[in-house]
Amino acid sequence: MKRSKIKYYILVYSASLIFLIVFVGPFLWLVSSSMQLERQIMQVPPVWYPDPLSLDSYKEIFFGAFYDESYVSLYGKSSSYQARIYLGSFLNSLIIALSVSLFSVIFGAYAAYPIARMNFKGKYVLLFSILVVRLVPALALAIPIVLFSKKMGMSDRLITLIFINMSFVLPYVIWLLQAYFKTIPSELEDAGRIDGCNRFEVVNKIILPLSIPGLVTTAILAFLLSWGEFLFALLITETETSYTSTVVAAMFVTAVADVSYVTIIAAGVLAVIPPVVFALIFQKYIMSGLLSGAVKN
Amino acid sequence: MNLFKDKNISSGKLALIFSAPAIFVLCVTVLIPIIYAIYLSLHRYKLKRAKRPFIGFDNYEKILTSEKFWDSLSTSLIFATSAVAVIITVSFFLALLLDQDFPGRGWLRALLLIPWAIPDVVNALLWNWLLHPSFGIINALFYMGGFIDQYVAWLSSMPSAMIWVVIAYSWKNIPLATLLILAGLQTVSKSLHESAMVEGASAWQRTLKITMPLLRPTLTVVLIFETIFALKVFDLIYVLTSGGPGKSTSVLGWSIYINTFKKLDFGSGSALAMILGLITLFLAMIFYTYLDRGEKQ
Repeated sequence: MKRSKIKYYILVYSASLIFLIVFVGPFLWLVSSSMQLERQIMQVPPVWYPDPLSLDSYKEIFFGAFYDESYVSLYGKSSSYQARIYLGSFLNSLIIALSVSLFSVIFGAYAAYPIARMNFKGKYVLLFSILVVRLVPALALAIPIVLFSKKMGMSDRLITLIFINMSFVLPYVIWLLQAYFKTIPSELEDAGRIDGCNRFEVVNKIILPLSIPGLVTTAILAFLLSWGEFLFALLITETETSYTSTVVAAMFVTAVADVSYVTIIAAGVLAVIPPVVFALIFQKYIMSGLLSGAVKN
Repeated sequence: MNLFKDKNISSGKLALIFSAPAIFVLCVTVLIPIIYAIYLSLHRYKLKRAKRPFIGFDNYEKILTSEKFWDSLSTSLIFATSAVAVIITVSFFLALLLDQDFPGRGWLRALLLIPWAIPDVVNALLWNWLLHPSFGIINALFYMGGFIDQYVAWLSSMPSAMIWVVIAYSWKNIPLATLLILAGLQTVSKSLHESAMVEGASAWQRTLKITMPLLRPTLTVVLIFETIFALKVFDLIYVLTSGGPGKSTSVLGWSIYINTFKKLDFGSGSALAMILGLITLFLAMIFYTYLDRGEKQ
């Protein structure tokens, strides 16, 4: 019996090791490459870990954002266009993702409540259309949206992106929240109504305060969805005033010349930090959110 | 707030009031654009020409009779089927591993969120670096392992370009599928396994005869969702291959983008987007009939 247990552990841990190499390894390699010197990452065979540790790539991005070209070149360095606008694009992404997250959760909570708790004609039509909306290819929406925003002079603005990103975040949020609201015992709500609360007060004073874990989970997922959005940002943004981090990250990769490879890699690492940190800190919430969104029907 | 105090207000009306902000946002960002996209698809709408006449289904007819469309549809189908096959297979075994009870599995589950949290564009940046023709670690590892005689430009030849795009896509999408399958696994009762073990069934037999059949509903859900998402792929193609080499990774999403925003033919681009939407909708319908049947059982 004991030998089979040992065999079992060997099997499980070697499988875990393969898992780590395949799923975490590439990410670690990206981080390690970003801290090497340009000449080090171009060595064959590769240098496995950065020695000496160099933060030149990050310096290019940070100095590029805060100082002008003449100051940076004092140190014998130059910064590419992408590096100079990268941190600014981070701020744009942050503003967009936070606003999308906030508005989607507020609008979504009030829309999810009747679906979870009330019987009305057309409830299932509403629920079904919310699901269908989630499946609409963004490209089908992108064409008219680009035409509209050009005509209305709304392209290259953050507010446009905030609004558009809600097209795919809001249905997801409603779906998650209606599943969450169903888990709150309805006795609490009944008690509130006997005390004379109307539906609106019931939502504000009973349902929402009790749903804080669900609201937080949903807000985080909404943030992450919006943070990674690329297609609409690519089509709507035209200048630094609204470029998002994903757009500039793509510009880094598709740049023909002028950008050093370590900087491209560092840009990738920086873009990953907010979502990965979020995901790891809130992993329990996120997992429960991901599962309730898909499994519960 | 008099509206809410009125006890006679019907729940339908109340539901409408509650969801009004969400419905407004979705109307503006989803419903109206879709209607306008249908309108565009029925017109000859090229940005360079002032005349934009109604032409019925001409755009659709042209697309359906062009070789380009069938080429990119088959590219999409090849991409989607291989990606879904890889995702389902790997996720299944990964979920079996994470369902085991061993010290450290909580860590593995948390780390699984890293690929999931990485934005698509950054995922493309990561794989672009891993696959670099001169300094990529995949070249280095394959060379050291003796699999290749010299470094290979993986993304510039077929079939390796398609294979690596599928791998890069799957890498990011396996975590969510794994979590979903894991949730399904946890509903499979342990006592069934134990009694089978007493009868002398091997671990493999138990997986095949007990786990697999009970997991079928979950696997079907994951299968259809993953297929729908894989058919919509765009970000990864944009950054990693731009549809190349030649047109070998030019999936539907990429041809919609090229048709619309590079050739500026909004009419035929919209028609193509509608066709992709219909394919998605068709898959979704299969999905819902399946779910309905599952619920009635």
